[in-house]
Amino acid sequence: MLKNLAAWFDTRTGYKHLVHEALEEPIPGGARWRYVFGSALSIAFMIQLVTGILLMTSYSPSSSTAWGSVWYISTQMNLGWFIRGLHHFGSQTMVVVMLLHLLQVVIAGAYRSPREVNWWFGMLLMFVTLGFSLTGYLLPWDQKGFWATKVATKIASGTPLIGPAIEKVVVGGDNYGNQTLTRFYGLHVGVLPGLLVLFLVGHIALFRKHGVTAPPKATGSEPFFPKQVFYDTVAGLAVFGVLAFFTWQHHGAPLDAPADPGSLEYPARPEWYFLSLFQMLKKFPGKYEFVGTQVVPGAIVAVLFLLPLLDKLFPRKFAHFLACMFVFALVGGAGYLTVEALRADANDPSFAASRKVADQAAARALELAGNPNAGIPPSGSSDILNRDPLTRGMAILEQKCLGCHAYTGKTQGKPEDPFKAFDLAHFATPGWIGDLLEDPGAPKFKAHVPTAPGAKTFTEKPLNGMETWKKTYDFDTDAERTQVAEFVASFARIPSDVTAEEWASDPKVKEHPAFENFVSSCLPCHAVADLGQPDKDQKAPGLFAYGSPQWLSKMIRKPGAKGFYGYLKPHEQMPGFEDLTPADLEMIVRLLRDDFVGSEPSSHEKSPSAPH
Amino acid sequence: MNRRDLYRFGTTLLGGMLTLGLAVPGVAYLLDPLGKKRGTARVYPLAKLDDLEVGVPRSFPIVDERQDARVKYPKEPIGLVWLVRQPEGSKSQVEAFQAECPHLGCAINLSGDKKSFRCPCHDSAFTFAGKPENKIPPRPMDRLEVEPIGPDQMVSVKFERFRSQSEEKIPLA
Repeated sequence: MLKNLAAWFDTRTGYKHLVHEALEEPIPGGARWRYVFGSALSIAFMIQLVTGILLMTSYSPSSSTAWGSVWYISTQMNLGWFIRGLHHFGSQTMVVVMLLHLLQVVIAGAYRSPREVNWWFGMLLMFVTLGFSLTGYLLPWDQKGFWATKVATKIASGTPLIGPAIEKVVVGGDNYGNQTLTRFYGLHVGVLPGLLVLFLVGHIALFRKHGVTAPPKATGSEPFFPKQVFYDTVAGLAVFGVLAFFTWQHHGAPLDAPADPGSLEYPARPEWYFLSLFQMLKKFPGKYEFVGTQVVPGAIVAVLFLLPLLDKLFPRKFAHFLACMFVFALVGGAGYLTVEALRADANDPSFAASRKVADQAAARALELAGNPNAGIPPSGSSDILNRDPLTRGMAILEQKCLGCHAYTGKTQGKPEDPFKAFDLAHFATPGWIGDLLEDPGAPKFKAHVPTAPGAKTFTEKPLNGMETWKKTYDFDTDAERTQVAEFVASFARIPSDVTAEEWASDPKVKEHPAFENFVSSCLPCHAVADLGQPDKDQKAPGLFAYGSPQWLSKMIRKPGAKGFYGYLKPHEQMPGFEDLTPADLEMIVRLLRDDFVGSEPSSHEKSPSAPH
Repeated sequence: MNRRDLYRFGTTLLGGMLTLGLAVPGVAYLLDPLGKKRGTARVYPLAKLDDLEVGVPRSFPIVDERQDARVKYPKEPIGLVWLVRQPEGSKSQVEAFQAECPHLGCAINLSGDKKSFRCPCHDSAFTFAGKPENKIPPRPMDRLEVEPIGPDQMVSVKFERFRSQSEEKIPLA
């Protein structure tokens, strides 16, 4: 039945003849292991093709969706980590096997007449392969791909005359974004595979025309099938085995934090096989940089292209010797520069520090993307960290607040400066208020202000009211103090649409077990709506909705407002930050309220419900 | 077995391993959606009883958060339900119907004369009791469970989806 079907098909296509011709091709001198590199490379390409098409079924090329889709493939899909890992390590394997293939061809003298054109096809294939690598690196739209590719296109922009135009066309405009990604994607999955197949067909056709370059003393011949096919299959399986091993060991491919054009210290490095070019760039600083980025690589490429023509200039053997020396020097030089680049990074503490920051951001992004309370927002992957109080809020805190304040002891102020404002960590939680009521003189509550406008001397005086109060007042029991602390902390949950009067007139407020103690201990100084009888001469901030988002927002924007710290002299007041965008203000407020994924279970939530 | 056969066998074996090594994870990857579970049916409060007129259907969107593969969307309409208040003395006070047509999943709307339900895609037609009026749909409109209406008069419906084209009403797991 099968035979009949095969015969029917053969009479209409002639496939048996084609298969026979392919498999029975005689190999002069017989099958050899040294001939496997070309086939191994083709198999590596087939693996890339299959895994690439699989990845395409879930990848989404836009600056807002790419990272999320890669994260989804790597962490949420059946064996997605394995498929992506194979593709990631496959690209590196292709470069390694390509290098071995090139060395074998040069050593065997297979680049020489009459195989010059095939050598040139091989060169073109090499550039296409490197092009795959370069374009694929950007596709996850993570920090690593973004910055490394930016550097690569900036190098292209240094090309005399047409550089800027090249950069603009490749990037798809003036800025990196959606157009860059779709262009790179188009090159990676459309143009480059097309070119690769085209050149590969030419390469193999010419290889069939000229046959293998047998060693000079080889005798006899052997058909391609089965021995050489077996060798090639072993090599193919070895390639796959190496890929699977690395994928298994690294549990897939790495994914850095989503691309952030605003990050300050990302240590961009290309893939390891481009590190030699990266290092060479450093050898030609300043105005001669183009020598390292353009002239030297260009010259190397030109010599490689012209390698088969050396035979025209020198005696055959000497030309071969020169060609081998050139390629060995090239590999050795590239290896030296690569090791130098790696060692430079390994011995550079600032690189390690930047890398640590980048790794922390990556870990945080991955944690948030997979967290049911966070996830990837529709606005895009970059908002995972931009809308994370612990990342974005902390960045603004460091920039705007930690010059004076501290956060869990961390401050940007100089050690010799007196500590100017209290520690913001866990602000207005029951624990924080409890500590304040127990020991207002503790270092974390210390605050100093300049003695006069522009003065370099500082005083605690206008802000040490709690310490003064503590000298004359204490709660009868710890339980009472805790109760008052929890009562005050519950103000942070008063909704923004409840006015002070509405809140104060709620009978539940006055029924609260801590109310009497609160009135007698806090209200002599603090004001809360019209409760209690604070001194007319206000000397403490109001406590209505203390620690709530609305209170914090106003405190940050207008600390000198009535009911806040308006009772202080202008030079004693905290500066207002009215220039913060609403989104940034929200991030900082949420950070101060411990409202972020991974914070300790909020003490606000544990305290008895605020009456409102 | 001679040497030639050994190479032949070895090629088939190793080539098979290579192919399977790639094909098995590849297929598992492509079939990934089969392993993903649908969210369980949830109850949504939709309307006050007094907002509904007896015998006059009204549609209500089901609003909820939605996880679409990698992206988590904030609350937005994820489905539609038709509510029809029943006359006094009926077995139930309100009937709820899934607006997804049991034929091929289009959204069922009111007919032009507003006297029946009609699907705009393939003309499935139903009475306000969800009964088919032609032979296009395989089964009546999918009735949804209405929670007992309490003193707050809130009509709450258990929202779920069912397999299309089937004569049986089979919940999608």
